[in-house]
Amino acid sequence: MRVGPVVRDDETAAFFDGTARGEFLLRYCPDGHPSSPHAQLCDTCASADLTWRAASGEASVISWAVAPGRPTGRGPDKPTVLVVAELAEGPWWWSHIKDADPDRVTVGTPLTIQFERFSDQHEAVPVFAIAA
Amino acid sequence: MTTAPVGPRTFPGSRRPVIAGLGITELGKVYGRTAARFAGDAVGRAADDAGLRLSDIDGLLTSAGVTNGVNLSLQRDLGLTDLKLLSEMQAFGSTAGQMVQYAAMAVATGTADVVACVFADNPLTENRGAGAAYGGAARIPTGWMGLLAAGGIVGANPMYALAARRHMTTYGTTSEQLGHVAVAQREWARLNPLAQMRTPITLEDHQASRIIADPFHLFDCCLVSNGGIAVIVTTAERAADLAQPAVHVHGWGQSHPGHFLRRSDGFGLVSGAVQSGPAALAMAGLRIEDVDVVELYDCYTFTALISLEDYGFCGKGEGGPFVASGVLGPDGKLPVNTGGGQLSSYYLWGMTPLSEGVIQARGQAGERQVADHDVVLVSGNGGVLDHHSTLILSPNPA
Repeated sequence: MRVGPVVRDDETAAFFDGTARGEFLLRYCPDGHPSSPHAQLCDTCASADLTWRAASGEASVISWAVAPGRPTGRGPDKPTVLVVAELAEGPWWWSHIKDADPDRVTVGTPLTIQFERFSDQHEAVPVFAIAA
Repeated sequence: MTTAPVGPRTFPGSRRPVIAGLGITELGKVYGRTAARFAGDAVGRAADDAGLRLSDIDGLLTSAGVTNGVNLSLQRDLGLTDLKLLSEMQAFGSTAGQMVQYAAMAVATGTADVVACVFADNPLTENRGAGAAYGGAARIPTGWMGLLAAGGIVGANPMYALAARRHMTTYGTTSEQLGHVAVAQREWARLNPLAQMRTPITLEDHQASRIIADPFHLFDCCLVSNGGIAVIVTTAERAADLAQPAVHVHGWGQSHPGHFLRRSDGFGLVSGAVQSGPAALAMAGLRIEDVDVVELYDCYTFTALISLEDYGFCGKGEGGPFVASGVLGPDGKLPVNTGGGQLSSYYLWGMTPLSEGVIQARGQAGERQVADHDVVLVSGNGGVLDHHSTLILSPNPA
């Protein structure tokens, strides 16, 4: 699949500034615990003092699902592998694995984060790819 | 070990909570009516069923579905004045069970005497596919949910499919095992005149049904229905003079794990029923072995399977072999989703298991009536296994 359109709001503005630079930003408390980008408080210690820091971009498969391809004028699309992945830093994220053969995906399959846009008018969206 | 919760058994006998009325509108592909009209119709039918006038109602709890079309205006629509209790409630599929809990607490404490709890929704539009009803917004997505949608995570199907896959890869659960849930519930639906899908299906039909989000086939997924259902909660004393046999509410519990869109070791492996079930049973002074009839939230076959595990009808991770063992269905030894459930009867969120639970507890289920129905467990589930409610119902006062 190609990514869909998404526009920013106040909650996501800083995150999308990151994706525009090719960075997946996580939130960190003063003690260095990583939290999800949408966390309001530290997932570990509930600190409200969170700053943004780029993740390494490495991840692995926790679970996956396969959405069938939809019919197109050129025949059916390829199926899309949807995934929840564990980032190397610990938090989980949800997206799809780009151009993935479902038979190559299992628990623990190593992934990397890439970024794609629906159009110039829309934000860059993190997607996963199977690590080389 | 916590102490047993203070529940209905400790209330004065006269004020113990019961369900005294049940109102079910036309269900399914019923077009041209707003959710508010379905809701009003359902409350009217529930009052009629109980032998009450609308003006007897002094409490109203409303719950809206995906069309978000039921709200406080229902009071005005029904001409209800001087209510002692009124709120919109929202915890997705666990709401129906929770409304009964709040209503039970209200009547037991004398906050109100006759509380109507109603859910209605009209996701289906003529000439538009059922999938589109729950498929997400037409506007340009924004914010965190928009970001997930842009990556392909749209609606409930992907998240539940990810949850089910994790159960499969962890415990060895198979698609064929999930199919046993669908086939057994269709057998029950054949006996239910309210059910939308009454044509028998086989395991082969389940496996051949189209893929929605692998591992889910079409027959793993619930229906989409228009309609409304209401119940009337009052005291045992008030119900003694009413039209229907009282259904006593002996125990309840909720669980809201708080892991949505977070790292969660238990994702797909354990649901909130593991907390709400024991809480409800402890309140009722019962054990899981005492449960005669089980009405589970089954937005997917997998939801029913994981709920069976978490309530303790089988061991953790053993749900697959358990449901494949022939225990389900009208000929099985554990009556589960005796009206066909959300998979085969109708999808009115938590009102689906609640309505069938009330019908069974009353002994009014006709061909599908379970002979032993002294203890009926009703389970609600909302979000992606994020919100859980449990009720213990019984035709017996104690």
